[in-house]
Amino acid sequence: MNSRKIKDGIINIFIWAAAAFSVGILIAIVYFIFSNGLPLISSRFITAQYNASTNIIHMTSEQTFLQPSGQDIFSENLGIGLEQDDDGFWVNYVDTNSPGRRAINNADEIVPVEVGQLLQAVTGADGQLRVDANTSPEDVVAALNSSPDITLRLNEQGGGVWPLIVTTLLLILTTLLVAAPIGILAAIYMVEYAKPGKVVNTIRFATEILAGIPSIVYGLFGFLVFVNTLHIGQSILAGALTLMILLLPTMIRTTEEALKTVPMSYREASYGLGANKIQTISKVVLPSAIPGITVGVILAIGRIVGESAALLMTLGTFARLPVNMSTGNLSLREAGTTLTVRAYVEVNESGNVEMAAAIGIVILVIVFALNIISKLISRKFSKANY
Amino acid sequence: METKFSVKDLDLFYGAFQALHHINIEIPGKQVTAFIGPSGCGKSTFLRTLNRMNDLIDTVKITGYVSLDGEDIYSGVDVMKLRTRVGMVFQKPNPFPMSIYDNVAYGPRCQGIKDKKSLDAIVEKSLRGAALWDEAKDRLNKSALGLSGGQQQRLCIARAIAMEPEVILMDEPTSALDPIATQKVEELIESLKKDYTIVIVTHSMQQAARISDKTAFFLMGELIEFGDTNQIFTKPHDKRTEDYITGRFG
Ligand SMILES: Nc1ncnc2c1ncn2[C@@H]1O[C@H](COP(=O)(O)OP(=O)(O)OP(=O)(O)O)[C@@H](O)[C@H]1O
Ligand SMILES: [Mg+2]
Repeated sequence: MNSRKIKDGIINIFIWAAAAFSVGILIAIVYFIFSNGLPLISSRFITAQYNASTNIIHMTSEQTFLQPSGQDIFSENLGIGLEQDDDGFWVNYVDTNSPGRRAINNADEIVPVEVGQLLQAVTGADGQLRVDANTSPEDVVAALNSSPDITLRLNEQGGGVWPLIVTTLLLILTTLLVAAPIGILAAIYMVEYAKPGKVVNTIRFATEILAGIPSIVYGLFGFLVFVNTLHIGQSILAGALTLMILLLPTMIRTTEEALKTVPMSYREASYGLGANKIQTISKVVLPSAIPGITVGVILAIGRIVGESAALLMTLGTFARLPVNMSTGNLSLREAGTTLTVRAYVEVNESGNVEMAAAIGIVILVIVFALNIISKLISRKFSKANY
Repeated sequence: METKFSVKDLDLFYGAFQALHHINIEIPGKQVTAFIGPSGCGKSTFLRTLNRMNDLIDTVKITGYVSLDGEDIYSGVDVMKLRTRVGMVFQKPNPFPMSIYDNVAYGPRCQGIKDKKSLDAIVEKSLRGAALWDEAKDRLNKSALGLSGGQQQRLCIARAIAMEPEVILMDEPTSALDPIATQKVEELIESLKKDYTIVIVTHSMQQAARISDKTAFFLMGELIEFGDTNQIFTKPHDKRTEDYITGRFG
């Protein structure tokens, strides 16, 4: 009796110690990341370009623009508004039809005027006007309106993670668009069509092996096959295809589990009413499995957000908006980099722990949001009471 | 009396295990036929051969002959079509996790009926037929899973009669229900038999005696005796039948 009590006590202590240890580590991680990264976080950090740059760009005005109310410094010629502070003149408004949105640099690449850029010089009919904090607003507006053909020197401040957020979200979307249909159809085949036996067991064995391969191997594979052999180049597309292969095993697995939780009695009821297989799957089985499938998709999103090794060589490490320079549009054939990869590179190459930690905060927020969504869905799942 | 199902020399195997031995039976139309027998004797298995639900199980092999209105249902018949003619109600109420309306409309929709008016009419008629209309008419768009067990089972019957089948197979339809819900379903079966042929598996001797016209007694995969319910329960020809219905079995 007594020795049992002691045993229980010791086991309890271990359980508590383990729980406290893991909670402690979690708190330590969050504290470390927040204390290092929080000073950098601001709305500018989210919306600004990553790298500072100075662009000299040309634009041609074809119409006049109406001055929006409350916009004191405004060029009717270009549809661009500015605000003045101690650092100089900042772009704070660009009309949707402004020629600034189609401005080109000397290499004929589209480099649009964007809110948050610092105006450094204007070249119009009266030659170049250098703009700084002491220039008068009237002179600036006069220079901007002096000719249909205007050249601007704009300074992009950088230091933000907007390109990383865009790339990350674009990568998630693309990866899911290729991986989810294939994974779900494969799982439907495995659960609803394939006869249990050698073939299914072999496929299942193969997917389990695939799920255990470290992602750097997938990265190498994607680099050799998609980037090099298929000449896709480092791009969102190559990264998404690589992640698709990496995610398929778990995707198939979770979807299979979701399909298996659909009670046999639903299928029997459906067949008993004269429904065929396709009807049974599409009208009864899949709708009942959707909550479970969604959880699998959300876990996949978490994996995409967290992946680095598979993306280093397939998506790239350069923090830029994945924009095609000759059209100015977002493109899947463009390279970029995700929050996670950039945080890794940032520490690795420049030892910039603060930047990495600030990126870490953004990642934490995204992961946290995804977690809440998955919790809500799985709660709804258990309420369905099959 | 016209014969609905005619079964000759039916053998059924689950892999190597023979679950049914040489079944020969003629099931009459527009009557209630009850299958009784101890657990595991093959009642459900046999019932499911009548609408080919056993096709869903890979290991099942069937030999012999089963005909519906003289037509062999195991050769050259469209299984989906067969199941619209021979509906089924299961032991555990199994409504789909959809609204009451969608449950009843499921079968007709699968047959390609899309017109809202026709579906409305079918849903109302079926729910009335299953004595569920008054309880369900105000919540047609609510989830069927919110109904009580007895209501769910009547919904499953409504879902089956929405197909306007000729036969309804019922596998212990009241075993998961309380006495009051059971009584309701039994009354429903009484009223259905003028339009439908009903084959029901039951563990309750009283139920078989109350609602059926014919009774078949199964034992270890064999059909031991088949006859008028009255005769089976009062003057069984076979000693084993007598033992079973008097509770001396085993
Ligand atoms: N899918 C299956 N695979 C293998 N054997 C089965 C399968 N289904 C049923 N059996 C076997 O077939 C025999 C008959 O089963 P069945 O379910 O038809 O009995 P039952 O008379 O309906 O019993 P109960 O009254 O308990 O429902 C049993 O021995 C059972 O173990
Ligand atoms: Mg049974």
